[in-house]
Amino acid sequence: MQLSDRISGSAIAALGAVAFFYGSKLPPVPGQQVGPSAFPMVVGAGLVICGSLIVFGIGRHFEEVAEADVVSHARPEELEPMAAWRNWLALLPPALLAFYALASETLGFLPTAAVMVLLCSLAFGAKPKLAVPLAIIAPFVINLIFLKLLRVPLPGGILPFPW
Amino acid sequence: MDTVIKAFGLVFQFDVMIAVVASAFYGLTVGALPGLSATMATALLVPVTFYLSPIAAIATIITASAMAIFSGDIPGCLLRIPGTPASAAYTDEAYAMTRKGQAETALGICLWFSALGGIAGTLSLMLIAPLLAEMALSFSTYENFWLAMLGLMCSTLVARSSPIKAIAAMLLGLLITCVGIDNPGGVPRFTFGSTDLLGGIEVIPALVGVFALAEVMRSLTERDPPKIENRKLGSILKGQWKLTKEYPKQQTRGNIVGIIIGVLPGAGADMAAWVSYAMAKRFSKTPEKFGTGHPEGLIEAGASNNASLASGWVPALLFGIPGDTITAIAIGVLYMKGLNPGPTLFTSQAESMYALYIIFILGNIIMIPFGIIMIRLASKVVGAPRSAVMPVIMIFCAVGAFATAGNNLFAVWCVAFFGVFGFVMEKNGYPVAAMVLGIVMGTMVEQNFVTSLIKSDGSVLPFFDRPVSSVLAAMTFAALLWPVFSWTRDRLRGRGRVVAA
Repeated sequence: MQLSDRISGSAIAALGAVAFFYGSKLPPVPGQQVGPSAFPMVVGAGLVICGSLIVFGIGRHFEEVAEADVVSHARPEELEPMAAWRNWLALLPPALLAFYALASETLGFLPTAAVMVLLCSLAFGAKPKLAVPLAIIAPFVINLIFLKLLRVPLPGGILPFPW
Repeated sequence: MDTVIKAFGLVFQFDVMIAVVASAFYGLTVGALPGLSATMATALLVPVTFYLSPIAAIATIITASAMAIFSGDIPGCLLRIPGTPASAAYTDEAYAMTRKGQAETALGICLWFSALGGIAGTLSLMLIAPLLAEMALSFSTYENFWLAMLGLMCSTLVARSSPIKAIAAMLLGLLITCVGIDNPGGVPRFTFGSTDLLGGIEVIPALVGVFALAEVMRSLTERDPPKIENRKLGSILKGQWKLTKEYPKQQTRGNIVGIIIGVLPGAGADMAAWVSYAMAKRFSKTPEKFGTGHPEGLIEAGASNNASLASGWVPALLFGIPGDTITAIAIGVLYMKGLNPGPTLFTSQAESMYALYIIFILGNIIMIPFGIIMIRLASKVVGAPRSAVMPVIMIFCAVGAFATAGNNLFAVWCVAFFGVFGFVMEKNGYPVAAMVLGIVMGTMVEQNFVTSLIKSDGSVLPFFDRPVSSVLAAMTFAALLWPVFSWTRDRLRGRGRVVAA
C-alpha cells in the first residue's frame, strides 16, 4: 500500500487535470458569469499544483520530522516491519462490506453478518472457540438493537429475525 | 430565565437521561480500547442518533465524545498506548508516573482535570458564542467564505505531516462534494450516468469509512497490544484537590489554551494537548522533571484537550465550521435534526442552546463517578481481544451507514470505498482529517464562493476590500505560508530537529 510520492503525486495531479477539464465542459447558467464549472476548476487546478509539488518532494521535510517523532515515541518491537501479506489482509474488511452489499438482501442480515464476523474474527487470529459463538451472538444482538431500540428493519432474507 | 427553565425541561427527560448514561459508558469503553479513537466513537454513534429526539441526539454526541477523550488517557497511563490521538502528547509522562507506582494519581489527574477543563470549556462556549453571534449576523458570503477557508487551512496546519499533502487531501475532500446535482447550476456533475451519485456522496458513510473501517483495516496490519497487568489501584481522587491548589497557573493556562485552540476552526483536542504540554514544559520552573513522571504537564494538557472539546462547538454552532473532526460529525447531526448552524440559532432556538450547555456541564460532572468505575474496570476493558471487538465494529459500519442512508445499499459501497481510500491515504502520509473537513464544508465553501462571485460580477476585489474579510483573508494566507516560514527558520538554525533526533 506504500506508494512512492511520485506515484501518489502524479495520480493527484492527473485527477486534478481531469476535474479541471470536466468542470470546464459543464453547461453555464444562462445570464450568469459564474456557474457550476467554477468550483471544480479551482479545486482541480489546486490539485494539479499540489500533485506536482508532491512529485518534486516539496514538503517531505515535515514528514521526516513527524516520522522521527513517532520513532522516538515507539517501543522497539513496534518498529519491526510486519510481513507483507498482513498489508493485503487489510483489504478483508472492505471486501466483507462488499459482500454485505451484494448478499444481504437475498441471504438476510443474520447469515450475512455471521459470515462477516466469523471471517474477520479469524483474520484477527481468534480461535474458533471464540469466533464461532461471536458470529452467532453478535449479529443477533445488533439486529435486536436496530429492530427494537431504533426500529430499523434489517433485511430478513432466508433467515428473518425470529420475533 | 423562562428559556433556562424550558431548557432544563428539555434535558431532564427520560429518553435524554438514558441517552446520556448509555453514551457515557459507550464513550468510556471505546476511548479506553487502544486504537479506537474518540472520532470513531462519535462516527459510529451517528446512525443511532438518527432515530433519537434532537436533544437526545446531541446529548449522545456530547457525552460520548467527552468521555472518550478522557478515557483515551487510561491505556496511555497503564500501557503507554494512547487510547485516542488527543492523549498522545502526554502518554509518556503518564506512563512514567505509573512506573513510579503512582498509577492512581496519574489516572486521577487525567480524570479530575479533564472534568474541570470540560466545564471551563463549556463556560467559555456560553460566554463567547452569543457575543460572536452578534458579530456573525453582519457577515456576508465573503466573510463566510474566508472563515471556511481559514478552517480548512488550519486543519492542514495541525496535521502532523507534509502541509502540501494535507492541502491535497483537503482539496480531494472538496472535489468529492462536487459530485451530484447539488450545485449552483443544478446540473449533474461527476455522476457518470449513475443515479446513486446524483444525490452526491453523503458525509456519514464517508466518515464511517474513513474513521471506523480504515481503523479496523489498520489494526489488521498491526500487532496485538501488550497485555495489561492486573494491578490494585488506590483511591483515584486522593490528593487531586492538593494538586489543584498547587498548580493553579498550569491548570488555568491549559484551560485557556484549550479554549482558544478549540475556537479556532480546524484545530481540536489533539492540537490542544500537544501545545499545552509544550507550554507547560517551556514555562515550568523544573523543566528537567518532564518525562520522568511529573504531574505538571499532565495537568495542563489533560485540562486543555477537554476544554477544547466544548469551545470547538463555537464555530460549529455559529457558522457550521467544525473545530475538529468530532464537531464535524456533530454538525452533520445538527443539520439532520433541523438545528441548522448559524447565528440565528441563538435567538430562534435559544432553549435548545441552553439545553446543549446543560448537557455539557452534566456530562463533565458525571464523568467523575463514571470515570472511576471505568478505571476500576480498565484491566478488563483494555484487555478485550481485538478479534472480538473489531468484527463487531465492522458490522456496525455496514448497518449504521445502511440505516442512515434510508436503507440504501449504495451507502455500504461508499463505506467500503472510503475505508480503502482512507487506509491508503493514511499509509502514504495524507491526513484523512483534512479530507473529511473538506467533505463536510465543501458545499458551503462552493455556495459562498459562487454567490460572492455572482454578486461581484466575477471580480475578486470584494473578497479583499471589506474590513473583516480582509483580516480573515490575511489569516488564511498566513496559515498557507506558515510552513514555508517554519521550514526557512529550521534551515537557518542548521537542519533543525531531524538531525537532532
